[in-house]
Amino acid sequence: MHDTVDPDFASFVDARQGRWLRTAYLVYGDLHRAEELLLRAFTQLSVRWTRVDDPDAFVQRLLYQPAMRPWNRAKPFPDEDDQVKRALAELTPAQRTVFVLLHLEELTEFEVSELLGLSHTAVHAHGMSAFGRFRSALGAGDWRDAR
Amino acid sequence: MRREDVQPLLVQAADRLPEPDLADAAWAAGVQSSRRRRRLVVLGVIAFIVGAIIASILIEVGTSGNADITPPPNPPGYVEASGKISGIDFWVAPPPGSERFLDRLETPLGDRLELPDKVRPLAKHTLDSVAAVVLVKQGDRYAPVLLGEDGSWAQADIGLVPVGGESPLSAGAVSPYGRIVAFPQPGELITVNATTAEISHFPLPGGREFRSVSWVQDEQRVLVSGSGAAYQVVVGEGGDGEQAVVQVSATNDPDEATSPYRIQTGSVMRYLFNGRWMENSPLTLPVRSWQGQTMSSNTAAARVFIAENLPEVPTRVSQPQVVAAISTLRTLPSRLLVLGEPQDNPPTFEGAGDRPFVREAGCCVVLGWYDDSNVLFRVHGWVLAWNLETGRVRRVTEMRVDQVALGPGLRL
Repeated sequence: MHDTVDPDFASFVDARQGRWLRTAYLVYGDLHRAEELLLRAFTQLSVRWTRVDDPDAFVQRLLYQPAMRPWNRAKPFPDEDDQVKRALAELTPAQRTVFVLLHLEELTEFEVSELLGLSHTAVHAHGMSAFGRFRSALGAGDWRDAR
Repeated sequence: MRREDVQPLLVQAADRLPEPDLADAAWAAGVQSSRRRRRLVVLGVIAFIVGAIIASILIEVGTSGNADITPPPNPPGYVEASGKISGIDFWVAPPPGSERFLDRLETPLGDRLELPDKVRPLAKHTLDSVAAVVLVKQGDRYAPVLLGEDGSWAQADIGLVPVGGESPLSAGAVSPYGRIVAFPQPGELITVNATTAEISHFPLPGGREFRSVSWVQDEQRVLVSGSGAAYQVVVGEGGDGEQAVVQVSATNDPDEATSPYRIQTGSVMRYLFNGRWMENSPLTLPVRSWQGQTMSSNTAAARVFIAENLPEVPTRVSQPQVVAAISTLRTLPSRLLVLGEPQDNPPTFEGAGDRPFVREAGCCVVLGWYDDSNVLFRVHGWVLAWNLETGRVRRVTEMRVDQVALGPGLRL
């Protein structure tokens, strides 16, 4: 491993870091933690840069799977006035992760299930209940009225 | 609210975040992590090696140098040597009369070596490998009777005459592979092939009495010796242009010329196949005279000697006799077995066999080897085996015949 950064690695990181930081921020509700996890994921990738087949999936797994762990109990978006963030804070970590990946990253339920190591049924259920609670939190009525 | 309304809300919520620049930091952290991991592996290996060395030292110290991981210095059943004679470890054999109570070494000779009532002719019952040969006196002649490795007997169709007034059976009569038996006769050497019943005669230079035979390891040549004369006789194919009979330097001891080694006073000699000898190793023992032939295994040569008075093993009524097993390999030690006297006081002289009987000079000779560890020797009325590794003496068979020569068919 050379001391100077690999140009391909630098291009890869530059192209994705902004988007993944925003997604991670909404998943964890904590910018500092999101940035720390993203840096750790990129660091892991740099060590295996020439050996990883799918770098996108590698980084995303490292970035989002910690949110699913049972000991991940840090309160998201503390002291936030933004309605959307407060609505996200009312979701469980699993619901919030699935919801953000489905609607911000625009991944399919199958892609999310593979990324998080969940069954497709679980992802679907988390996505539906998250959407319902999100709507209710924003005062948009029962989710069954949604189209 | 519709589903497509969600994404703009989420984008807006995360819109004002600062733009990160993580590429350089991630790469630098990766380099550091990689180096740290490599360092850890090296340190782990070093720690393991140091730990293993410390553990081995602690085991060695904790067990006073006799750790369980080291093999025991002696085999099971080892008997401590009684001392040293001329720098060689010696053991004392069980006294006469105790042979019957020794552990037994199983051989085709059985518990008691005696001739069966009926013996088939060798021509009708050939043997693959000879375990033992005895001579049966028939008038003024001797008939050789062979014992096979399967325990069956067969008699060769030949009458042998005595040599020097004694039976013509030599301890070295059976060939190294147990197929042929050789007998010295006046003016000739006679061989009996046990696998084909073929009898061959090989003329010898006249005017001498030949008393003993010893096979060269290739089973093609025999050393025939008498007092002051010895010859190498080709009984097999031999080499191109090789003389059928070659004179071999000899001494007045008719049993001394043996192959591949001969033990004599002062040295162990090795036979060179061309009638000459070379010294294999010097030998210093308190020898008064040698008894019988030297019998060799792959690692040692053995012969009995009558010793000068041994302060290490005092005797009261007989001259001490010793089985000397002299190693022919530098890495293995030589060993001695002193044949003891009866323990009762005074010794009684009631007869042979299992009763107390003083081992008089000439009673005992080496008969051969069971394997590289066990030397077989005859005492009065018994064939015994001495294990060189453990020092133990076992009984092989009780002799109900006068003389016997042993062969490799003995090994079960």
